[in-house]
Amino acid sequence: MNLYSFIVRRLLFMILVLAGVSILVFSIMMILPPGQRLAAYVTSERVTPEQMDAMIAKYHLNDPAPLQYVRWVGNILRGQFGFSVTAKEPVIKAFSEYFPITLELVLYSTPMIILVGIWLGTLGAVRKDTPIDHATRVFAIVGYSLPTFWLGLLLIMFFYGFLGIFPPGVLSNSMRTVVTSSGFHRYTHLITIDAILNWRWDVFLDGLYHMFLPALNLVIINSAMIMRLMRSSMLESLGQDYMMTARAKGADAKTLYRHHARRNALLPVITVSGLTFAGLMGGMVITETIFNRTGIGWWMAEAATQLDVPAIMFNVLFLGVIYVVINLIVDIIYAYVDPRVRLG
Amino acid sequence: MDTPSQERPVNAAHPRWQELTFTAKRFFKNPLSTIGLTILAFFVVIAILAPVICPPKFSDPYKIPHSGWTIAPSPPSAQHIFGTTEEQYDLLYGIVWGTRSAFRIGILVVGANLVIGILLGALAGYFGGIVDEILMRITDVFYSIPYLVMAMALVVAIGRGLTAVIIVMIILEWPAYTRILRSDILVIRNKEYIMAARASGSSHFKIILRHIMPNAMYSVLILSSMNIGTTILTAAALSFLGLGSQTGTADWGQIVSMCRNWIIGLPGHPFTYWYTVFIPGFVITLFVLGWNLLGDAVRDVFDPKLRRK
Amino acid sequence: MTAQQHLVEVSDLSTNFYTFEGVVRALNNVALVVNHGETYGIVGESGCGKSVTVRSMMRIVQTPGRIDGGRIVMFLNPEDKEKGIDILDRSEVYMSSIRGKDVSMIFQEPGAALNPVLSIEQQIAESYQFHRMDEMLGLTISRLQAAAPKAGPLKIWNDFRLSLLRRELAAYEAHGERIRTIDNELYRLEDASDQASRARKHELNHERDKPVRTSRLVGFVRRVPFLRRYRRPLDRTLSAEIVDLLRSLGIPNPENIAKRYPHELSGGMQQRIVIAIALACHPTLLIADEPTSNLDVTIQAQIVDLIRELKETAISSVIFITHDLGLVAEICDRVTVMYAGDVAETATVRELFRNPLHPYAQGLLEAVPKEVQESTLTIIPGAVPNLIRPPSGCRFHPRCKMKMDICEREKPETIERGAGHFVACHLYTKDQSND
Repeated sequence: MNLYSFIVRRLLFMILVLAGVSILVFSIMMILPPGQRLAAYVTSERVTPEQMDAMIAKYHLNDPAPLQYVRWVGNILRGQFGFSVTAKEPVIKAFSEYFPITLELVLYSTPMIILVGIWLGTLGAVRKDTPIDHATRVFAIVGYSLPTFWLGLLLIMFFYGFLGIFPPGVLSNSMRTVVTSSGFHRYTHLITIDAILNWRWDVFLDGLYHMFLPALNLVIINSAMIMRLMRSSMLESLGQDYMMTARAKGADAKTLYRHHARRNALLPVITVSGLTFAGLMGGMVITETIFNRTGIGWWMAEAATQLDVPAIMFNVLFLGVIYVVINLIVDIIYAYVDPRVRLG
Repeated sequence: MDTPSQERPVNAAHPRWQELTFTAKRFFKNPLSTIGLTILAFFVVIAILAPVICPPKFSDPYKIPHSGWTIAPSPPSAQHIFGTTEEQYDLLYGIVWGTRSAFRIGILVVGANLVIGILLGALAGYFGGIVDEILMRITDVFYSIPYLVMAMALVVAIGRGLTAVIIVMIILEWPAYTRILRSDILVIRNKEYIMAARASGSSHFKIILRHIMPNAMYSVLILSSMNIGTTILTAAALSFLGLGSQTGTADWGQIVSMCRNWIIGLPGHPFTYWYTVFIPGFVITLFVLGWNLLGDAVRDVFDPKLRRK
Repeated sequence: MTAQQHLVEVSDLSTNFYTFEGVVRALNNVALVVNHGETYGIVGESGCGKSVTVRSMMRIVQTPGRIDGGRIVMFLNPEDKEKGIDILDRSEVYMSSIRGKDVSMIFQEPGAALNPVLSIEQQIAESYQFHRMDEMLGLTISRLQAAAPKAGPLKIWNDFRLSLLRRELAAYEAHGERIRTIDNELYRLEDASDQASRARKHELNHERDKPVRTSRLVGFVRRVPFLRRYRRPLDRTLSAEIVDLLRSLGIPNPENIAKRYPHELSGGMQQRIVIAIALACHPTLLIADEPTSNLDVTIQAQIVDLIRELKETAISSVIFITHDLGLVAEICDRVTVMYAGDVAETATVRELFRNPLHPYAQGLLEAVPKEVQESTLTIIPGAVPNLIRPPSGCRFHPRCKMKMDICEREKPETIERGAGHFVACHLYTKDQSND
C-alpha cells in the first residue's frame, strides 16, 4: 500500500469520526430544555416569551431527537450557528474576532514547546544519570505537576506586580486604537503579522510584549510531556542494535546521535507534537482567562459560566474538527517518515 | 544460576510473594518514589486528621468558616495560621479539608474509570469482532474532543458542583483506560498459554480472570497512577473557572479562584497578599507532584522492559 | 609450520561491567593471537565472553562495560607488517577511523542490526562516506570531466560542480596527508615510553583527532537549498558502487534492493546486507559474531559459503564466533575455547578435535551427538557461573571431573603443549613442574 491509498482511507475514517462528534455534541445539547436550546436559532438579543414559544414551535424544538439532529446539521452546514449571549453577536461573527487571538498565541507557543521539549529530552538522554539529566527530569516532573492557572498567577504576580513588565491583555490601549483605526489593514487578523504587513513595528513589539508571559506559561507546562517522551524514546533508540552497527561502521559521535538515534527517537514525538498543537487550542481556556486575552478559550469560560449554549456547542464542534484534521495530518507525516507504517 | 544446586537451599516461598517483594524492593530503591510516597503519606495523614486539626463549624464540614465579611484577605495570624482569602475564609481550614476533597475526587474518578475501562476493554479485547469495532469507534469520537472544553460543556448541561465535576470526568476519561486494556489484551490473547488454556477446556470467564487479567493489569495500573495527578489538576481547573463547587467550599481550585483579584497587591507592596495566592496553589502542586512521582515509580518498576535490569 | 604473520595480539585483557547488582568480571586476562589469512574460531557457551572479547577488540563494549587492563596490538600497517599498535592507547576518533575500514563486524540479528528508517542504500553509503570519500570524489570528478559539455549554461554549471568537488577532494587529500605524517611518527614512537615521547605521542594524537577541514565556500554552498545539488553526481557514483557491491555478494536485482528498507527483506537477505556494509571498505579483519545462529540451516550454509568465498578474495582474516562445533570444524583453521571469561584452550582445529586437553573442551566434544551413539548423551553437569562472584582459582573447577585441590586456589597459567596448542589447566602445569 502506498501513501495515497493510506491518505484516502484516513480521510474516509475522518468523516466517520466527525459524524460521531456531531452526534455527541448534539446529545449534550438535548439534555437541556428547549428554552435554552432556542438560543442556537436566534439571531438577535431580545426575545419576548411569546416570541420564544412561537419560535420553539417554529423550530420544532419539541420534535423527536433524530429529526432535530438532521435539522441541526442542516443549519450548521448552512453556516447558522446561533447567537451568543456572552459575545452579544452571532456566534460566527464572535468566532471570527476571537479565534485569531488564540491562533496567534498557539502559533508562537507550539514551536517553542516542541523545540524546548526535544532539546531537553535529548540532553537528558545523552547525558543520562548526570546532574544535567536529573535537573531536566526534575524540571519536567515539576512542570507537569503545576496547575496552569497557578503558574500563570505567579508569573503575573512576579513579572507584572513586582517588576512591572509584561502586562496581561492582548495589546496596550494606545496600540489598540492604532489597530482599530481605519488606516490599519487587517490582512490576516493576526496582530503581529498584520503589524509587520502594515509596517507598524510598535504594534508588533507591543503584541509580542503581551504574549511573552502566557507563552512562557504554556511552554513550562507543556514542554514537560514532550521532554519526557523524547528522553525515553531517545534512550530506547540508543540501546538498539543498529546503533552498534553504526558504531562498528566507524560513525563519529555526532552522526551517531543525529542521524541514527534521533531520527528513530523523533517518531513518537511527531504524534505527540501534533496532539499538543491541537490540545493547545482547546487548553487555552485557563491561560486566556488569567491573562485577559479575548480568544476562544476566554469566550468558552464566559460562556460556561453564563450558560451560553450556542457558543459552547460551536466551540466544541470546532475544536473537534480541528483535532481530527490535525490527527490526520500527523498520521500522514508519520507515514512519510517511518517506512514501516506504509505497509501496514 | 549461581552455584550447583546442592549448595543452595531451594527457595520455598510462593512465586507471587517473591514477585511482590522483588517489586517492593525495586520500588524503594528509587529515591524519587520514596519522596512521592512520603508526600502522599503526609497528605493522607492530614486528610484523616482533618476533624482534629480543623473542627468543622457547620453541619457540612466542607463549608469553610469565615470570620467577618471584610473583602480583603487577612495575613497569617494566630487566629488564621495561613491567613484568609477574600471575605475572610480561613485558609488553613480550606487546605486541610480540601485534602479530603482532592482524595475523594481522585480516587472516585480513577476508580470508576478503572472499573469501566477494564470491563469494556476486556469485552472489546477478548471477544473482538463487532463489539470491538463499535467500542473503538466510540472511543475515537471521545478522543477527538478536547478535554477541558468538553468538560465545560458537560458541566453546563448537567449542572455545577463537585459531584457534577466527578461525573463529567468519569464520562470523559474512560476511553483511555478501555483502549489501553484492550490493546494489552490483544497482545496477550494470541500468546500460547492462552491457547493452551483454551485447549484444556477452561471457560472464557476463567481464562480472562486467571490468565489474561494478571498480565494485562500492568499498563492500566501505570496509567491510573499517572492519571490521578492530571485528574486533580483538571478538577482544580474546573473549580477555578467557577464550574465546580460553590464559593466557600473546601476545594483547592475554588480557593485559588478567590485570589484572582489580589495578585497585584497594594501599590508599592506587590506581594501583600502572597499567602492567598501562593499557599493553595503550592499545596495543589505538591499533591499532584506526589502522585506523579508515584506514577513514574510504578511505571519504572512495572515496565516489563526495564524490570530485570 | 611456516611462521605466520600476526594480525591481532590480545594479551591480558580484562573487561568488567559495572552493573546495579555488582561488577561482572566478564573477561579474566584473556589472551589470543590471530594471524593474517586465517579463519579463527571462538567457541563456548552463552555468556562465556566470546562477544565481549571481540567487542573489546573493536572497543565497542556497551556501557556499563569497561576495558580495565591488557593490551590489544593490531598489525594494520600495510607497508610494515611487523609494526603493531596498541589500540587501547589510541583515541576514540582513531578507533572510528579503523572501524569499518580495517576491522569490520557482523552481528547475530541482522534485522535488528539495520536501522529501520533508512534505506539499504543509505546505510551502505555511510561506510563509503566515512572511509572512502576521497576515492568516491575522485571517481565522480573524472566522470564529470569525461562527459563535460562544451559550452553554454550547462558548461558553467558543470565547472561549478567540478570546482566544488575538487575543493572537497583537496581537503580530504590534505587530511589524509596529515594523518599519514602523524601516523609515521607515531609508529616510530610506538614502543618508546619515556616522558618526552609520551608527551609527543599525546600531542600527535590530539592533532590527529582534528576533523577534515573543508573550505568555507564548500561549507556554505552545502547549506544553500538549490546549489546543494552539486553533489548529486557523487550520490550517483555511490549508488553505482553500492549496486556493484551487492551484485558481487550474489544479491539478485541489486538496483531494486538498494532502494528498499530493511523490514522488506528476508533474514538471509538482511544478513547479506550487513555483510555488504561490513565489506564496503575492504577490511583486513572481519569479525562474525554468531552470524548464522538466527537463520535457518539452508541460509546458514549460504552465508557460510559466502564468508568462505570472501576470505579468498576480499578479506584477509575472519574471526568466527559460534557455539556450534560443527561449523568450527567446517570453516576454521584455529580455534579458542572460552569458559566464563577465561581462555580454556587454543589449538588448530584438527588438533583440538583429535586431542582436546582441557576437561571443558573434552566435555564439549563428548557432548556432541555422534553418528554411532552408544550410550546416553554425556553432559557437563552444573551451570555457567555467575560472573559477579566467579568461582575462585580456575573458574571451571566446580564442574570439573578431574578437579584437584590446587584448582580451587590458583588460576592455572596457559602452557604450550605441542606446537601452537595452548591450554590453561593445572593437570598440565603440574606435569611441567614435576621435574
